[in-house]
Amino acid sequence: MSDNKVKNEKKKRKIEEGLAIFVFLLPGLLLFVSILIAPIAVSVYRSMYDWNGFSEGTFIGFDNYIELFTNGSIKFMNSLKNSLILAFFSVFIQLPLALGLALILGRRESRKERAFLSIFFMPVLISTVVIGQLWLKIYNPDYGILNRFLDAVHLSSWKHVWVGDIKTALGSIIVPTVWQYVGYHMLLMYAGVKGVDIDLREAAMLDGATKWQVDRYVVIPIIKPILRVSVIFAVTGSLKTYDLVRILTEGGPFQSTEVPSTLLENMLFLRNRYGMGSTISVMLILLCFAFALLITAAFREKDV
Amino acid sequence: MKRRIASIVMAGIMTLSLFGCGSATPAATTDTGSATTETKTETTTTETKTETTETAAAATDEPITLNMWCIATESDSNRHAYEAAIAEMAEKYPNITLNWEAFENQSYKTKIKAAVSANEMPDIFFTWSCAFLGDFVDAGKVYCLDDVYPEFASELPENMLGNTTYDGKHYGVPTTMNIVGLFANMDLLGEVGYTEVPGTYEEFIACCDALKEKGIIPFGCAGKETWCVTEYLESVIEKSVGADALNDIFLGRDTWNNAEVGAAVDTFQELVNNGYFDPSGIGLTNDEVKNNFIAGKYAFYMNGTWNCADFASNEEFLPKVKVAEFPVINSDKAKLGQLIGGPSDTLAVAASSPNAEVAAKYAMELGKLICHYGYLDGCGLPAWTPYGDTSAVNPLTQTVAEICANADTFVLFGDTAMSADDANTYLSYVDQVYGCQVNGDQFIEGLAKEIR
Repeated sequence: MSDNKVKNEKKKRKIEEGLAIFVFLLPGLLLFVSILIAPIAVSVYRSMYDWNGFSEGTFIGFDNYIELFTNGSIKFMNSLKNSLILAFFSVFIQLPLALGLALILGRRESRKERAFLSIFFMPVLISTVVIGQLWLKIYNPDYGILNRFLDAVHLSSWKHVWVGDIKTALGSIIVPTVWQYVGYHMLLMYAGVKGVDIDLREAAMLDGATKWQVDRYVVIPIIKPILRVSVIFAVTGSLKTYDLVRILTEGGPFQSTEVPSTLLENMLFLRNRYGMGSTISVMLILLCFAFALLITAAFREKDV
Repeated sequence: MKRRIASIVMAGIMTLSLFGCGSATPAATTDTGSATTETKTETTTTETKTETTETAAAATDEPITLNMWCIATESDSNRHAYEAAIAEMAEKYPNITLNWEAFENQSYKTKIKAAVSANEMPDIFFTWSCAFLGDFVDAGKVYCLDDVYPEFASELPENMLGNTTYDGKHYGVPTTMNIVGLFANMDLLGEVGYTEVPGTYEEFIACCDALKEKGIIPFGCAGKETWCVTEYLESVIEKSVGADALNDIFLGRDTWNNAEVGAAVDTFQELVNNGYFDPSGIGLTNDEVKNNFIAGKYAFYMNGTWNCADFASNEEFLPKVKVAEFPVINSDKAKLGQLIGGPSDTLAVAASSPNAEVAAKYAMELGKLICHYGYLDGCGLPAWTPYGDTSAVNPLTQTVAEICANADTFVLFGDTAMSADDANTYLSYVDQVYGCQVNGDQFIEGLAKEIR
């Protein structure tokens, strides 16, 4: 009889604990559902409709998804290719640069290093619109500093309408993108580098390791989780890139620099195709998740 | 004299809305003579009607706040017209407070569509006529102006409402109307021996060749804003295949698969391939190209006649610039007087506005005033019957008025006439034509296939 009572009380306590956990989690859960899950669900729902945003939509199933890959005028595959090129440059140019800077600045701490840290981080603090306008002026075919410089060094044949030439437009976006976010990744990695125990560095040095060998065999393996986060940020950031493309080329010339986000905006607000716009947003979400999982898996394999 | 010109202009533009939207207004061509008579009659009744509208608007004595969105930003040539009109309205109706906000043209298109979608529109909003407003009307988001229009009918001719009339109902208050003009820097033309803008296509090409030889770039065109390319391309197509053929295509009555249109596109590409266009233009915005034209970099600049205000306000540049009509390319199909343009700038009232009736009357009167001040400033031709002293209108706008007075047919800008999706497919192809990525045949075949 008393055993039953104890059991019941335990059960009751467990239920109360569960209830307490649920109540404490509820606000967070509600926020998560309303801010993240619900919009995604609405996007998935809308992607199944042919809807202009104002009138009644027509249910068309997966037709938008099929059209996205089969209609040449939408140029989704081209936009995806551009994002992946941007991701490639982010991962293989931007991140190594950021890592190099973080390693150099992280070796010792002095006023000079801190000043450099601030200088490299400065572009991250400046609004992307300002950076876009700044680079637009640099690229200006008439008075831009780039063409003027080429004139000055007698390389006039290298002059281009940088953002208007199909051969150089994407490159004109990649350069400021890489430049702007080097500081951001550098700061992430710098935090990791500074977290490496000084004893480990000194032990390696005592064993005769050079500074480079200390970085290569001690620091980099330790900050691997941060590198993984940086790669995820760089790749998903490239997939979601919008602002610099919008300011520098507006997807042109001839839609050659469109990225999924500019295409999405084009579909939603210029073409009034909210269904197709939602389809692109769903594809973007899926791609970002897929790449994040792939990168995590790739880093995990190397850990083994 | 000026008033007479204005009346003649009004007569000329009577044909504008003959290319109305949807099933509202049948497309036809009227002769300007009968329209002139109609205009004169309406002009005489202006004063009486003004009194009526005052009474109607003043009937609402209680304080009301209205919100308005428009694109008359600080740098917009219509800014002064809006400010003057709003100030006059504030004085006339102290019980009505108007909160207005201006947004940059391109971002406004996004903003207003998002607002319509979310049913969060301001009471009064700026819109483009035809297909742009048509989508909002179809969704039932726009207040019908049929109840208030009769009070203003004598000042706003019915046939100026064709582009804002859907299923026989009026939904918009047109302000100014504009056409595509061929602006010429006469100083540069003078350097190659021309004292007038060439009148025939052959002379025009000879002039471009002479300019090129002299090291002067004939045309400036902003490739970064595709609508600027359409100003050239549509004029070339219209003067090659005729206004009716182009209008039928724009309004979906005929297919894009028209070999003559393809040939006209090839003609345009010849101009590009001959090096008449500034190669830098492809990476420039319209503001940059316009500034280059004012600075004397190009001999010609084809763009909307709303630019007259900016050119006229530049005392140094005004004596150098002339505006003319693009010459006829194929006289068997086209003729002078066939123009690209029409009344597109419009004010509309949200159906969701709690003060929709007052807003409708207010929008009507405000539209009239914006039209009045806009005309005086040279921002375009009046959609409403002009009143008061118009002698201060700049000479460029007066020339445009004369061109319109002699006009035969107006074809509304392609990207305004077509639905949003079709317009963007069209602009995408225009972009490719300018960059010589597709030729005339590929242009017509692609559009025939892809326009929904």
